[in-house]
Amino acid sequence: MKRFLITLLMMTILVSLVFVGCKKKEEAPALSTEVPTIRIVGKDFSPTDDINLQFLEKVAAGFEVYSGQKVNLELVQVPDGGYQEKLNLMLMGGDIPDMIYFQGGDEAVSKQGLLVDLKSYVDNSKVMQNVLQDFNKQRIANYPYLLWIAPPRARIALVREDWFAEAGGKVPVTVDDYYNFFKTIKNNHPDAFVMTDTGNTTRMDFTFDHAFGETATWVKQGGSYVYKKVSDAEKAKLAFYQKLYAEGLFDKDYVTTKWDTMEDKLYNNKVAMAFGTSGVVCDIYDTKLQTNQNVGLVALPPAKGVGQGYSVSTAKETRGWAISATSMNPDLVFQLLEFMATDEGQLLDRYGVEGVHYTVDNGKYTATDKKSEWWPRINEVMTYDGPMPLLGVLGLKSWDFLGEYVVGDPDFPIPADMAPTWDALTNLYKEYNFKIIAGEYSIDKFDEFVKEWYDLGGDKITEYAQGQLK
Amino acid sequence: MKGNIQKRIVKDKQMYLLLFPVILFFIIWHYIPMWGARIAFQDVMYIGANKWAGLRHFKMLFSSPVFLKVFMNTIIISSMKMFLIFPLPIILAFMLNEVTSHGFRKSVQSVIYLPHFLSWVVIAGLFISLLASPDGAVNKVRIFFHIKPIAYMTSTSHIRWVFVFSEIWRSIGWDSILYIAAINSIAPALYEAATIDGATPFQQAMNITFPAIVPTIVTVFILNLGFFMNAGFDQVFNMMNDAVINHVDIIDTYVYRVGLKQGNYSLGTAAGLFKGIIGLFLILSTDKLSRKISGEGVW
Repeated sequence: MKRFLITLLMMTILVSLVFVGCKKKEEAPALSTEVPTIRIVGKDFSPTDDINLQFLEKVAAGFEVYSGQKVNLELVQVPDGGYQEKLNLMLMGGDIPDMIYFQGGDEAVSKQGLLVDLKSYVDNSKVMQNVLQDFNKQRIANYPYLLWIAPPRARIALVREDWFAEAGGKVPVTVDDYYNFFKTIKNNHPDAFVMTDTGNTTRMDFTFDHAFGETATWVKQGGSYVYKKVSDAEKAKLAFYQKLYAEGLFDKDYVTTKWDTMEDKLYNNKVAMAFGTSGVVCDIYDTKLQTNQNVGLVALPPAKGVGQGYSVSTAKETRGWAISATSMNPDLVFQLLEFMATDEGQLLDRYGVEGVHYTVDNGKYTATDKKSEWWPRINEVMTYDGPMPLLGVLGLKSWDFLGEYVVGDPDFPIPADMAPTWDALTNLYKEYNFKIIAGEYSIDKFDEFVKEWYDLGGDKITEYAQGQLK
Repeated sequence: MKGNIQKRIVKDKQMYLLLFPVILFFIIWHYIPMWGARIAFQDVMYIGANKWAGLRHFKMLFSSPVFLKVFMNTIIISSMKMFLIFPLPIILAFMLNEVTSHGFRKSVQSVIYLPHFLSWVVIAGLFISLLASPDGAVNKVRIFFHIKPIAYMTSTSHIRWVFVFSEIWRSIGWDSILYIAAINSIAPALYEAATIDGATPFQQAMNITFPAIVPTIVTVFILNLGFFMNAGFDQVFNMMNDAVINHVDIIDTYVYRVGLKQGNYSLGTAAGLFKGIIGLFLILSTDKLSRKISGEGVW
């Protein structure tokens, strides 16, 4: 009997432990009915981080000054794991915050009418009209559910300044210039590769796509639109990459390289170049290399050939803020987004929390050591000029490149019913792409790939594209 | 009959109490979610009731240009893992059983259990580094012996073997626990009698140890068949790359990409249900076959 009682006690404890996590959350103290609450969900924007709560307090105070409206801002915790999947599961479970950050997976939600159409809001907002760039406005016109105020995410070629100087210190312009520049670096540093990428050639494509004629996702060829990856331009580009790979200029392990190992290769002299997202990422690479080796980086422009530029899709925002159609206060949520795009909002969003990330003494702003840990939670207005520099020399240079070389790409989203076919076509391209670059296939195989691509369903999508791009 | 069950429960009440949390676990995490499988036949609505979609999501799954390839990859990778890896923990358990030094056996066991606790993210990183060409440790050894290096991770003819080998490295120790436990439960008197009769260690292993653990082997094999269509999402996802994607893309990775990442849960559930039905069919048919041949089944 005693053993039975002990076992029973143990079982009770175990079962209690199982259910302890299921305990209903304690009710939050009742809020004043006059003050509306905006529930916000964002990536890496957790309510368990005290700094986020401090930031939101400042935002709420600033918003009250801006709009005369008191508001409670409440952060919603997304379950651990991939943000995109967990967010959609959370929404499907019926927990739908007012202001939602998406990083993919938004189309399934918007299709069901769960997101507010932001076009009229944006059209009627002086603030938004001032801060949005042309490509943002086109994206809103094509897909009015996501708003993303941030610089375009072009990947800028960055080369070590010491190796750059050794190779003559002249910025390459044409593809041939780049090739000769790479050869010189390789001759000077035979044990290193000139450049690497992360699993595919997406990053370096930013530098070379336009030069080979891939000036948009769908390019004109023979009088009709052709997907760039099955175009003649792609064939020429792959032949160039194949040459780089064969001559040891392009990292042999690029296909198994992740973003963190890509950085390591740059900091450990295994490659001369890496491709970093324009803006603060360029500064981070620069700072890390300075810290490790007391050497900086030089930003290189896109190669010049048939064209010169960085394509920026105008199809839709691939990430950004949405307003829930179930929100009781959609106008207020938009007003909040608008406030965060003003200079007052940007001061909060770009610099972080006063006393933590920066200090102000007699009107002079000074960054603290923690400033590098802060990133804008809501908006990053490119034209905002704050009281202290937000970017280093390299970051600013990368933004100059954006201003000079960004070209709108009149792309369109692939419809959901074509998604499985598109996935199959993408995989087919990936395999041929690698095998051609690595020299397993000769460049002549590209024609076989193109035929296979159309046979696998590319013809139907190409036909669809003709209608979309009229 | 009813009274008989009650008597057994009262008699073994401690055992049933110990079983209780396990039953609860399976009810909460495996039986109740079965009700959710109905969304394979519905369009999931974020607001309001789901809409009936019939077999549309299954048609979408099966009509994908890559479904056959993905399905075949799943079968091939699963078969390689199932039939090549399955005997290894049994052999390992036999080998460990022959080790006479208690301390040595324990330390070997501890070491071979360790990889089981590493996540596939870590293991993938480890194997990518080890097998890199030409700078990975394995290729450096090949180069030392003047053998041509191989880019294992990007070679379509090697990558599936990398999956098998890494799975062996991670699981063999942990999977041998069951067999070691089964071997330990064999009465020592049987071995003593066999030794007196002059049986060699090999004869003892084949005539005492092996027959004694056959029921465990059969049970584990049949239960493993239930997971046949799970070719190992975490492993494949972390080790795949563009060079080999068409040779290692399995149903789970396909569903993750096309279904879950795009919020198409019905498609994901349809694939899960399809896999589950195949698993159930394999379990039931193998159980029946096993009963016919050896008289042993799972239950």
